[in-house]
Amino acid sequence: MHLKYESQLREPLVNGRKTYHDVTEEIIRPIEAKPGKLWYVGFYIAVALLLFGVYSVYRDVTYGIGQWNLNKTVGWGWDITNFVWWVGIGHAGTLISAILLLFRQGWRTGVNRAAEAMTIFAVMCAGQFPIFHMGRVWLAFFIMPYPNTRGPVWVNFNSPLLWDVFAISTYFTVSVLFWYSGLIPDMATVRDRAKTKLRKLLYGIAAFGWTGSTKHWQRIESLSLVLAGLATPLVLSVHTIVSTDFATSVIPGWHTTIFPPYFVAGAVFSGFAMTQSLLLVVRKVYHLEDYITIGHIEAMNKIIVLTGSIVGVAYLTELFMGWYSQSKYEGYTFWYSRANLFSPYGWSYWGMMTCNVLTPQIFWLRKARRNLFITFFISVLVNVGMWFERFVIIVTSIYRDYLPSSWSVYYSPTIWEIGFYLGTFGLFFTCFFLFSKYAPVIAVHEIKYVLKTTGESYKNEMGALEREPVEEFAHEYAH
Amino acid sequence: MAEHTLDFKEQFEIPSGMKKWSLALIIIGILAFIIGLFTKGMGTNEEKAVFLGTLMYNTIFWTLVCNASMFFICATTLAMGGWQMTFRRVAEAISTLVPIFGIITLVILFYVIATGNHEIYHWLDSKQVAADEVLKGKSGFLNVKFFVIWSILAVGFWSLLGWRMRKISSQADAEPMDFNTGSAYLWKNTVTASLFIVWFALTIGSTLPWLWLMSLDAHWYSTMYSWYVFASSFVAGVALITLWVIYLKNKGYLEYTNQEHLHDLGKFIFAFSIFWTYLWFSQYMLIWYSNQPEETIYFKGRVQGPYKGIFFLNIIINFVCPLLILMKRSSKRNYTLMTFMAVLILFGHWIDFYQMVMPSVAKDHVTLSWFDFGILALFVGLMIHFVGRALASKPLIAKYNPFLKESIVHHT
Repeated sequence: MHLKYESQLREPLVNGRKTYHDVTEEIIRPIEAKPGKLWYVGFYIAVALLLFGVYSVYRDVTYGIGQWNLNKTVGWGWDITNFVWWVGIGHAGTLISAILLLFRQGWRTGVNRAAEAMTIFAVMCAGQFPIFHMGRVWLAFFIMPYPNTRGPVWVNFNSPLLWDVFAISTYFTVSVLFWYSGLIPDMATVRDRAKTKLRKLLYGIAAFGWTGSTKHWQRIESLSLVLAGLATPLVLSVHTIVSTDFATSVIPGWHTTIFPPYFVAGAVFSGFAMTQSLLLVVRKVYHLEDYITIGHIEAMNKIIVLTGSIVGVAYLTELFMGWYSQSKYEGYTFWYSRANLFSPYGWSYWGMMTCNVLTPQIFWLRKARRNLFITFFISVLVNVGMWFERFVIIVTSIYRDYLPSSWSVYYSPTIWEIGFYLGTFGLFFTCFFLFSKYAPVIAVHEIKYVLKTTGESYKNEMGALEREPVEEFAHEYAH
Repeated sequence: MAEHTLDFKEQFEIPSGMKKWSLALIIIGILAFIIGLFTKGMGTNEEKAVFLGTLMYNTIFWTLVCNASMFFICATTLAMGGWQMTFRRVAEAISTLVPIFGIITLVILFYVIATGNHEIYHWLDSKQVAADEVLKGKSGFLNVKFFVIWSILAVGFWSLLGWRMRKISSQADAEPMDFNTGSAYLWKNTVTASLFIVWFALTIGSTLPWLWLMSLDAHWYSTMYSWYVFASSFVAGVALITLWVIYLKNKGYLEYTNQEHLHDLGKFIFAFSIFWTYLWFSQYMLIWYSNQPEETIYFKGRVQGPYKGIFFLNIIINFVCPLLILMKRSSKRNYTLMTFMAVLILFGHWIDFYQMVMPSVAKDHVTLSWFDFGILALFVGLMIHFVGRALASKPLIAKYNPFLKESIVHHT
């Protein structure tokens, strides 16, 4: 029953004839060394952006959100666009950890840690927007339903915006737990290798007294399984609920039944694009090419082309129904405000179509999936395209409402709206830089777990099994 | 024994019991059809519509469920799946029914079209269409020519690409593959599977359910509709594969398929039942929430009208049962329970297709009668007969498939 076997047709997930010791050395080393110049440059840029964001938000709080260009009909603009965009990006990590775990995709081990970290940071960024959009942010605690003395001021359980509060905070909690429980054994590894007392102390605290005993392993295994079970429906629920922010309304272009699954597909799509952009840099900077292989990148590109196409089918379905419904309002929104390139926001619709549906189709070609330059380029395009998607959905549906007299002037953001957005980039990258400096960006113990099935040298040894006739093979396995 | 023969029973032989059963079901079905034809099919317009509607939802259901097998094969191929290889031939055998059921579907649909039965498809009534702005506007899509051409193309390409996938599969019976021939073999599979998946998305993932089913309520529309139909037919399709796997296991075949594979099939049924529920809920909740008459009309008759019982039965069978029963690991590894669940899920989604079609055809009373079950018997009989024949036509295992060994050592 303990026959370790995998077809030779699958490329190894760990290249370069590694031993367990090599794995530890190569992944932990960047944590122990002083970061390079590039790290500092990147980190300072991130912090500068963050500070600009903090200042923009300070102004929002002081002067009110009137300093944004939101107007009579465009009550949601960049803020909610950015919110949805970041939440979407925060989907890949948990999808990789939970759903790909259930689908037993071995390649997830190389990328799950960084993707999960990215998820958490992205959700942190997302949360800022609705909170500060409230205007009087010091009253933000009103969204918590608890017995209070405010009389009729009580949350509205019928509102999808409140469902968001629950969905996102639950998702965030479970994602953090999942991510951190996976980090514990690796933190212990860093602790055990520590040369200084302070380091030992700090990583010791972070490792929660992990000893690596069988009992600990057993517990962490069952914990991951429970968390994976909890996280799986959450991957679907968060963006489903974000989609209902729009779809429960009666606004043309928002009220459409396909929204929940199509938003989830789009979220996974953008999440993988962001993971791809980040990991291509990380693997280069930390020399992790043997762990994040071309095979990993190809697998993620397959998910990108799959989810991009699902999203494409959804776009076309909506467009079709805009006509098929024979509703004047639906037709106007889809065929004039969106699909007509010469309407005020037509450019954003076609930007979305190009970046999300057309260009990712290049990943049908194996050569393109395995080309780092193309991958990086497309992943950035997808991120741009997915931002456009949210902008299209939000702004093109509301800038002209039912009453032409209240049609708004062209909406474009102020510097402070942009500053807030840039600030979340700062927050995201500051967190990511710190994470990549102080924690292993690849799950060391998980790589070790798959090493003997998919490590290059071990795979070569399986060649004999490959040549065995199937009856003999099955016989050997059964005994 | 020839040299290449394995030491286990890889060649299915149709047992006499199966022949008898399938024949009996087919005879019952044909009798039901004939009696139905004379009692309903020759009756009033409304009775005629019920007669045709019953044929329609049965044949569309079985075509899509069998096509789900080919979808399963192509999806697992593109995902480089290995675990399904020990029983993949079962799914292949089921998919051979696509052209057969597909043609029956086309015949029935074209009969409806040719006779201009506007009790079923309102958009066939040219007078009504001319008087109705909305229907007139839709006539670019809802017209006979497009309906006919697109339906033929859909069934044609499913059949053609499915045939090609099965043909490629037969090549793995011949001789062992090394790395290069194995890669080439994989590549050939991948190309055809991609074509199938793209065509599948353009038909079942979008246009075809609008055309065949959603246009029964010609005014009504829902962007989710096709994905919902897909989810329903796919989970039923996996249940059908499971049922055949268990049957063959019971007869002493499929030696390499074991509880581990059953467990994963169970997970598929569980997961896609939840997925179906997710789509069901999303569609229902959004329509309920915004409460616009042109949308709620679809659910009005189903939730508050005579079909109320069927409506809730649908959710209980297809959501509550798999949720409660298949959640446990041990139930997914239990052959008896899985047999029960597979039958239940197939029945449940047959009911789901029933409630997609009949409340639109016969609005004022539930039509479920001996006739529905008679026609069901016909399709089950045909299914058993043809799947049995297809299974017997090749070895049950593609011996030299490069991923077969992975499937043998597979454990969940």
